[in-house]
Amino acid sequence: MAQSRLSFLKAVSASRRFAAWLLLSAVAFTPSGVQADEAPTGASVYQAKCAACHGANGEGGTASYPAPLVGDRSIGELTEYISRDMPADQPGTCVGDEARVVAEFIHGAFYSATAQARNKPARIELSRLTVRQFRNACADMLAEFRGAGSVDERQGLLGRYYKSRNTRSRDVAIERIDPVVDFNFQDKSPDPEKLEPHEFSIRWEGSVLAPDTGDYEFVVKTDQATRLWINDLKQPLIDAYVKSGNDTEYHGSQFLLGGRKYGLRLEFSKAKQGVDDKKAKERPPQPAMISLEWKRPHRLREVIPARYLSAQQPPEMLIVGTEFPPDDRSLGWEKATSISREWDQATTEAAIEVARYIAARSGEFAGTKPGDADQIPKLKSFCQRLAAAAFRRPLADEQVALYIDRPFASITDPEAAVHRAVLLLLKSPRFLYRELGSATPTATDSFDVAARMSFGLWDSIPDPELQTAAREGKLATPEQVRAQATRMLGDRRAQTKVREFLLRWLKVERVPELDKDATQFADFTPAVAHDLRTSLELFLDELLISEGADFRQLLLNDSLYLNGRLAKFYGAELGENAEFQKVAFEQGERAGVLSHPYLLADFAYQSSSSPIHRGVLIARSVLGRTLRPPPEAVTPVPPQLQPDLTTRERVSLQTKAESCQSCHAMINALGFTLEHFDAVGRFRREDNRKPVDSHGSYRTRSGETVEFGGVRELAHFLANSPETHAAFVDQLFHALIRQPIRACGPHTRDNLRKSFVENNFNIRRLMVEMITVAAWPADEQKPPPPQ
Amino acid sequence: MSNLSRREFLRDLGLSASMLPFVLNLPGVGFANSTARKQRLIIIFSPNGVVQPTFWPDEAGREFTLKESLSPLEPFKNRLLTLHGLCDKVRGDGDSHMRGIGCLLTGVELFPGNIQGGSDTPAGWSSGISIDQEIKNFLQANSATRTRFGSLEFGVLVPDRADTWTRMSYAGPNKPVTPIDNPYRMFSKLYGRRTDQEHLQSILDPLQGDLQKLAANLSAADRQLLDEQATFVREMEQELKSSTAEATGHAVPDLEPGIKEETENMPRLSRMQIELLVSSFQSDAARVATFQYTNSVGDLKMKWLGVDQGHHELSHEPDTNEKSQEKLTTINKWYAEQVAYLAKRLAETPEPGGDGSLLDNTLIVWTNELGKGNSHTLDNIPFVLVGNGLNFAMGQSLKLGSLPHNRLLMSLAHGFGHHIERFGNPDFCRDGVLTQLT
Repeated sequence: MAQSRLSFLKAVSASRRFAAWLLLSAVAFTPSGVQADEAPTGASVYQAKCAACHGANGEGGTASYPAPLVGDRSIGELTEYISRDMPADQPGTCVGDEARVVAEFIHGAFYSATAQARNKPARIELSRLTVRQFRNACADMLAEFRGAGSVDERQGLLGRYYKSRNTRSRDVAIERIDPVVDFNFQDKSPDPEKLEPHEFSIRWEGSVLAPDTGDYEFVVKTDQATRLWINDLKQPLIDAYVKSGNDTEYHGSQFLLGGRKYGLRLEFSKAKQGVDDKKAKERPPQPAMISLEWKRPHRLREVIPARYLSAQQPPEMLIVGTEFPPDDRSLGWEKATSISREWDQATTEAAIEVARYIAARSGEFAGTKPGDADQIPKLKSFCQRLAAAAFRRPLADEQVALYIDRPFASITDPEAAVHRAVLLLLKSPRFLYRELGSATPTATDSFDVAARMSFGLWDSIPDPELQTAAREGKLATPEQVRAQATRMLGDRRAQTKVREFLLRWLKVERVPELDKDATQFADFTPAVAHDLRTSLELFLDELLISEGADFRQLLLNDSLYLNGRLAKFYGAELGENAEFQKVAFEQGERAGVLSHPYLLADFAYQSSSSPIHRGVLIARSVLGRTLRPPPEAVTPVPPQLQPDLTTRERVSLQTKAESCQSCHAMINALGFTLEHFDAVGRFRREDNRKPVDSHGSYRTRSGETVEFGGVRELAHFLANSPETHAAFVDQLFHALIRQPIRACGPHTRDNLRKSFVENNFNIRRLMVEMITVAAWPADEQKPPPPQ
Repeated sequence: MSNLSRREFLRDLGLSASMLPFVLNLPGVGFANSTARKQRLIIIFSPNGVVQPTFWPDEAGREFTLKESLSPLEPFKNRLLTLHGLCDKVRGDGDSHMRGIGCLLTGVELFPGNIQGGSDTPAGWSSGISIDQEIKNFLQANSATRTRFGSLEFGVLVPDRADTWTRMSYAGPNKPVTPIDNPYRMFSKLYGRRTDQEHLQSILDPLQGDLQKLAANLSAADRQLLDEQATFVREMEQELKSSTAEATGHAVPDLEPGIKEETENMPRLSRMQIELLVSSFQSDAARVATFQYTNSVGDLKMKWLGVDQGHHELSHEPDTNEKSQEKLTTINKWYAEQVAYLAKRLAETPEPGGDGSLLDNTLIVWTNELGKGNSHTLDNIPFVLVGNGLNFAMGQSLKLGSLPHNRLLMSLAHGFGHHIERFGNPDFCRDGVLTQLT
C-alpha cells in the first residue's frame, strides 16, 4: 500500500492538495455503518454464539468466563483461534467468514487496546492551558492595571493635519476621520484653504483589529518621512523619518493575537527634515503620497480596509512572542492533557519574557516609583492582584507567603522582586492548569465556574467583571451564569472564537491556496481567491452577530458578499470598484455556505469540480459521519483519458467497484448535488457539453433514503436534519469547552440538541447553554444551592 | 529603517524557545580557540573637530611632544600613533557634519534623502557598510574568531533620535546601527542571562513545594501531569547548577544604580560604559566595539569642565577667540582622558588565557567627524591610535600630507588579516593600505 500511495502521489504531482484529498476520499464506513447486509454480521454472530459466556458487550462476568474479553491478538489471530477453539462447548461451529466477521466485531467493539480506550468512560481531564490560552491569559492578566483606553467605535482613523512639518498641537488645521489611508496628494495640498502644498504633516491615530492570530506585515508606502507604531506606541515598528535613497516602501512585521484591537499611530511629514529649509516655499511643491497596507497571515497585501480600523485608542497589549510546540489537534479540537519537555521549556521562556515586560513597567501598574515610602507594599499588592487574576481565584494566606512574600524577601531590588514573583506565578501549576480547582476535594465554587466560562468563550482568564461576580457569589445559578455568558458573548474574543470554529467546521481554517488551471480560468487570480475568503468571512461575521444567529441560515441563506472584482468574475452586476456588499445572486441556484464559491473552488481540482471532496465535506462536517481512511489508494483516471464523460459520469465509473461503493454510495450522492458549480464555483448548465445532472440522495442513520434535485433541496434537508444539528452541537462543544462532551454527563448532548431546536437554532444561545452546562460538568445542571 | 520585528528583537535578547539552552547555559569564556592571538578593535568618536595647534604634535617621527589636548595620553606615548594628514575626501549629498560622521567609518557617499543640513543638499543614510561591521563580519565568519556578539556599539548621551548626525556605524547601505548609551541596557545585553538564571534559581523551591501540595489532592491520572512537571523542574535545577559551575567568572561590573542619562552625569556614564567594554572584552563577548560620545553637532554644556556654552556652538568661534579655543582644548583634553582611562583599564587587565594585557591585543582608534569645527573641514581628521592590537608601529607621530582616510580603514581590516582591496568609494583606495603604519 505504501508503494501504491507513493506512485499515486507521483502520478498526480500537479497538486499536493489534490493528492491529499483523493486519499481521504477513498473511505469506508465504520462497522456500525448504514449498509444492510444479507450475510450475518459480526454483531449477530457474537450475540448468537459468544454472548452467553462473554457477556453482551464482552464484559464477562459469567461463571464460564468471568474476565472481560480483552487482549492483543490481531484480527487474523483471533479468526484462527475462533475457528479452532470456539465456541468452547462446540469448537469448529464458527469457521470461515463467520469466524472472520465475528473476530472483526470483537476486535473493534471491545477487545483491542484502541477499542478499550474508546470505551473508557469519558471524564474531565486535568488540562494545561493551550498555547492560545497561555498567550491570551498573559495579555489579559494586565487588563485591570491599564486604562481602558478611549472608546470610539467610529470606523477609520482619526487624522490630524498640521500646518508645519512637526505635529505640534498649535499647528493643527484639520481634524477628521479617514476611513483608510491611501492618498496621492500629488503636488497639492489636502485642503488648499487650510494647508500649504509645500509643507504639512499628518498624524493618524486609532486602532487596528487583528482578525486572526499570526504575523502581520505592515507596509507604509510614501515618498515622504514617515513612522508607524503598532501596539507599542513608544517604539516605532517602522521608522523612516530619514528618507534615504529611492525607497518608497517600508515594512515592519508584528505578531498579533486574533480578535483584539491594537493601538496604531502613523505619522507623515511632507518637508525636509533636519535644519529648517526656509527657502522651500520659493520652489515649486513636490509630489507626495502615502498609503498604509498590511498583509494578514496567509493573505494578500492590501490597503488596510476601514472595517479593521477604528478611532478607538486601546491600551497596549502584552503579546507573548515565545514560540510554543503546537497543541494536539488530532481530535479536531485543541486537546491539552499532556505536557512535554519542549512545552515546559517554552513556558519558562515565556515566563522570562513576561516577567521582564511586567517588571520594567511595574511602577506604572502599581502606581508607585522608586523612593516612595510605600513602594514595596504597593508592588506586593500589585503582584498579589496579578496572581489572583492569573490563578483565577484569590490567594490563600499560605499562597501569599509563597508567591508574594518569598520573592520579595529573596532580593532587595524591588524591580527584580517583581520579576521573580511574576516568574513564579507563570510557572505555577495554579496558572498553567485548568480544572485544578475542581480536582481538589473542595466542591466546585464560583471561581471554577468563572474560569470555565472565560476559557470556554474567550480562551482566556476571567475579566475584572467576571472576577467580581465570582467573588460576590453571583455565579451560583444557571440564570446568573447565562446572564454573564450573554454579556461575554458580546466581546470580540468570543466572536473570533466561534468564527474560527465555523471556518474549521467548513475545513478552511488554514487558508488554502486556490490554484486553478491558467488556460481555463485565466481570470481566477490570487486577488479573486483572496476576495472570496473575505466574502465568506463577511458572511459568517454577519450571521453570527445577526439577531437570530440562525444556524440554518448558514445552509440556506441565498445572498453572497461581492465586491466589484468578484462581481465581474462571477457575472453579477456591480460597479467595478464596488466595495463588499451583500448581493442577492443566483438565488434559485445557490444555498448558503455549501454553494459559496470559495468552498466550491477549494473542494475542486484545478480544472474540474470534485464531487468526492464536496461529498466528504458534507458527510463529515455537516452530517458528522465517521469516515475511515482508505483501505487502499486509488489513482484517479485523468479526464482526458475519458474525453466524452462528464465529471459525474467519470466519478461514478471510477468508484463503481463494490469495495468503493460501500462508502462512495454516500459520498458521491451528496457531492453530485453541487455539480452545477465548476472548479471555481461558477454556475454552469453544461459539463463537457452535456446537461448537468445534480440529483443526489442520502441514506439517513435511521435508514430512510432522501432524494435531492440539487443543492437547494440538499440544503433544506441538512438544515432541518437532527443528524446535522447533533453534529454541529458536538463539534461546537468541543471547540468551546475543549473536553469530551460525554465527560459532561450522559444527557448533555441530547439536552443541548433539544435546546438548540427550542431556541430556533440560535448559535449564540447554544453557546450560552453550552457554557452553562459546562459550568458544573460533574453533576450536570445541578449547581450547589445558593448560599 | 528597522525591519526588526518584536519577535526578532526578543530572539536577539535570547528570549525564544530555541534559545533556551543559552539562558540555561551561560557561555563560558571559552578559551578553546585561544591558540591564536585574539585581536581587538575599539573606535571612539567625539564630535565637532579639534583645536589643531593644541592637538597635533609639531614633530614627525619617534621623537615628539604631546600637546595640551593629548597630554593625558602621556603614559601611553610609546604605544601611541598620531596620524596627521588623513582626509575624508567623500563628497556628495549632506553637509560636512553629516558626511563627517556618516562617511567616517564607511568611506562612501550618503544616499540622497530628506535630511537637510545647515548647508549643501539634503541626504539620507550612508550607502555602505562601516569598517567596524566589516571586520566584525569577517571575524564572525570564522569559528576561530567568532564571539557571542561579534561587535558591541556603546554610546554616551547619544540623543534619542535617529538621523544622519547620530549614527556612525552601519551594518550595510541604509542600515545604521543604533548605539546603546544606557549602561543598564548594555549590562542587560551582556549579563541578562546570568540575571535570568539567578531569578530562575530563586523560584525552584517554592515551585516544587506547591506542585507537591497540589498533586497530593489529585486523582492518580491527573497527578501524572504534575509529576511530569516536577521532573522538568528538577532537570532545570540540574542544568542551572552545572551551568553555574561552568560559568567562569571574571567579576561582573558592579554598576552604581540609578544614574540618569543627563549631561551632568556624563563622566560617570563614560566610566560605566568603559567598565562594561573592558569586561565584555575580558569575557570575549565581542572583539570589535564602537564608542560614540554624543553625536555629530553634539552641543552638550560640559559644566563640570567650567564650560558653560554648548560644544557645537563653541566650535564655531573663530581661531582668534582665544577663550573659546581654550575651552575647546579643555573639552578635547577631557575626551583624551577618557581614552587614557580606557587604555589604562585595558593595560591593567591581563589577557585571559594568554600573555600580556588586553591592551597588548587591542587597538583603540579615537576619531572625530571634522578636522576643525569653525571651518567644517574634513581634512586632517583626528586619528589617534593607542594599543598594540594590530601590529602597527606605535610610538610615532606621522605626518601623511593629504591621504584619503579610506586607506586607514583598509589598513584596519588588513591588520585583522582581512585583505580587502577597496573599502567605500574605490577611487580613494587605489594606493592601497597605509604602508607607513607597519
